[in-house]
Amino acid sequence: MTSAASAANQQLAAGWRPRLPSRLFLRFLGRRLAALVLLGLGITFVAFVLTELVPGDPAAANLGQRAIGDPEAVRAFREHYGLDKPLPVQYAVYLQHLAAGDLGESEQSHRPVRTDLAEYVPATAELAVTSILIAFALGIALGVLAAVRRNRLTDQVLRVLSLGGISMPTFWLALVALYVFFFQLGWVPGSGRLDPGVLPAPHVTGLYTVDALIAGQIDVLGNALQHLILPACVLAAYNVGLLTRFVRSAVLEVINNDYVMAARAKGLPERTVILRHVLRAALPPIITVGGLAFANVMTGTVLVESIFSWPGIGQYAFHSATTLDLPAIMGVSLFVAVVYIAVNFAVDVLYGVVDPRIRVA
Amino acid sequence: MSAQPLPLRWRIGLRRRAGTLGSAWRQPLAIAGMTLAAAWILVAIFVPWIAPYDPLAQTSRLFAEPSAAHIFGTDELGRDVLSRVLWGSRLSLPLAFFLVAAALAVGGLLGGIAGYFGGWVDEVVMRATDLVFAFPTIILAMAVTAALGPSLRNAVLAVVVVFWPSYARVVRGLVMSLGQSDYVNAARLLGASSRRALVVDVLPNVAGPVLVLATLDLGNAVLLLAGLSFLGLGAQPPTPEWGSMVNTGTQYFQRWWMGTFPGFAILSAVLAFNFLGDSLRDALDPRTSWAVKEQPR
Repeated sequence: MTSAASAANQQLAAGWRPRLPSRLFLRFLGRRLAALVLLGLGITFVAFVLTELVPGDPAAANLGQRAIGDPEAVRAFREHYGLDKPLPVQYAVYLQHLAAGDLGESEQSHRPVRTDLAEYVPATAELAVTSILIAFALGIALGVLAAVRRNRLTDQVLRVLSLGGISMPTFWLALVALYVFFFQLGWVPGSGRLDPGVLPAPHVTGLYTVDALIAGQIDVLGNALQHLILPACVLAAYNVGLLTRFVRSAVLEVINNDYVMAARAKGLPERTVILRHVLRAALPPIITVGGLAFANVMTGTVLVESIFSWPGIGQYAFHSATTLDLPAIMGVSLFVAVVYIAVNFAVDVLYGVVDPRIRVA
Repeated sequence: MSAQPLPLRWRIGLRRRAGTLGSAWRQPLAIAGMTLAAAWILVAIFVPWIAPYDPLAQTSRLFAEPSAAHIFGTDELGRDVLSRVLWGSRLSLPLAFFLVAAALAVGGLLGGIAGYFGGWVDEVVMRATDLVFAFPTIILAMAVTAALGPSLRNAVLAVVVVFWPSYARVVRGLVMSLGQSDYVNAARLLGASSRRALVVDVLPNVAGPVLVLATLDLGNAVLLLAGLSFLGLGAQPPTPEWGSMVNTGTQYFQRWWMGTFPGFAILSAVLAFNFLGDSLRDALDPRTSWAVKEQPR
């Protein structure tokens, strides 16, 4: 690290104060926003090309067996999606439908994909947020531990464990965890978001834990948490491995800086040095893992939710994939990609806020 | 877990090369990775002689628990799970090597062209990589496979589609920075031909990071393919494939041996490549190394 950078790190460590957005920051924001919009358009283009790729007649693929024998339905479908027009026009029509929130109709549920998604998103959101929180808490703690104990036994053990975390097939971990903790030990309830007899609290956010808190129904909250904990931990495994490694190298980047030595020299306890001086300076790069952690959780939900009978978009995607429900698959992909680039945008901006050097780049 | 690629900069340690590859092989982790990988490759080669049963042969003993006759038990059709796990290596390992080679060829070529020509060529290639990176890997791979139709061939194609951009970016960055670096210029000034500059000066420096990336991607390829097969989009029954075997295991949840052992196979194969790739990265970038002693500052 250059001396300029470590000087900046010292400033960071000394404490960062929020201030009004500067012109530079607004320009940075504008640039990222423009990139976000372009990327969003690009994603729709990819989804469009993929729907075009479908071998044979897209009408056949999208309408399924039930309607393909009905020429009237096929004609209506072609007209609705502009399939009788040239490709660029089709893309325009496709975009128009997207703008209106039309993602097509699922072959399995015979409902608009948008309706399906709206129903399943809260369950996944609750699971994903919990899992990411667990992953960050554990990953930061273990990463700092590994960096502080560099090259000692603890560090080596953590290295193997974190490599194990990123090498584990999540769907297999889910299966094993469910077998051990539910079937053998009976520590957690088996599947779903609540026990069969328990009704969710009145719908506010769709997140059962938050809704239960709002309604003050502590028993529902406890039940929801019991159901949440195992899938959230399983989904966190990969991210814990990833974060441990990332935090370790981020901490090692700063731990030898002169200001850390100065903090030690003036007699601060090691705990304060690590938490206040080292970790504070190492945090900005750690934020950038947020986007990646989100992508990993979404990947995980697709593979894992069905094992836990968790009624989220992961299970929806899984069933759509196994039944080849193309409109549903495309809808989920598009939705997840859009949320993903939005998360990355938020991470970018947050990074720019926390580390002003980034804005210039 | 089907892996989302780690951030490139971090994955391969795009830094000054300060160690030699030689030191990687003295680490216990590298040796463990080597041994595991070699064991799996040997199994894949010699499986017809190792496997106790035909992986497709159905015996009358359905759902047999692990025993001396069937060490990993039997599945819902009475097939020997151990034999199926061993045969699964014949699918996953060669495909992983093929996938990474294909992604390397496509990505390396496009990245090299982008870095060499710059301008709008570069712009087009880089925006294409942006688009692929805008999707979580398995989501895009799932959409591609589903659109093309579920089969092992299409799953492989989908994995190449999601893997090539990493290589394109690395190779592009290296070509760009190396083309302007002092030591390459110095070599040229000393009268080295472009070919010599490329082969002697540029290539070894590109090879290190790309090798690390490729080794880690071998593991990622195994995971992603298993994930797609788990979703029913890859290998189709009755092919013995690890991901689809775990899927069957989830349907017969209480027969733990049906899903557990194929999962161990995935884990150990991926772990082998990750151990290797991680050790390689350490050797190339001692600063964040897990083994080398404290660096002098």
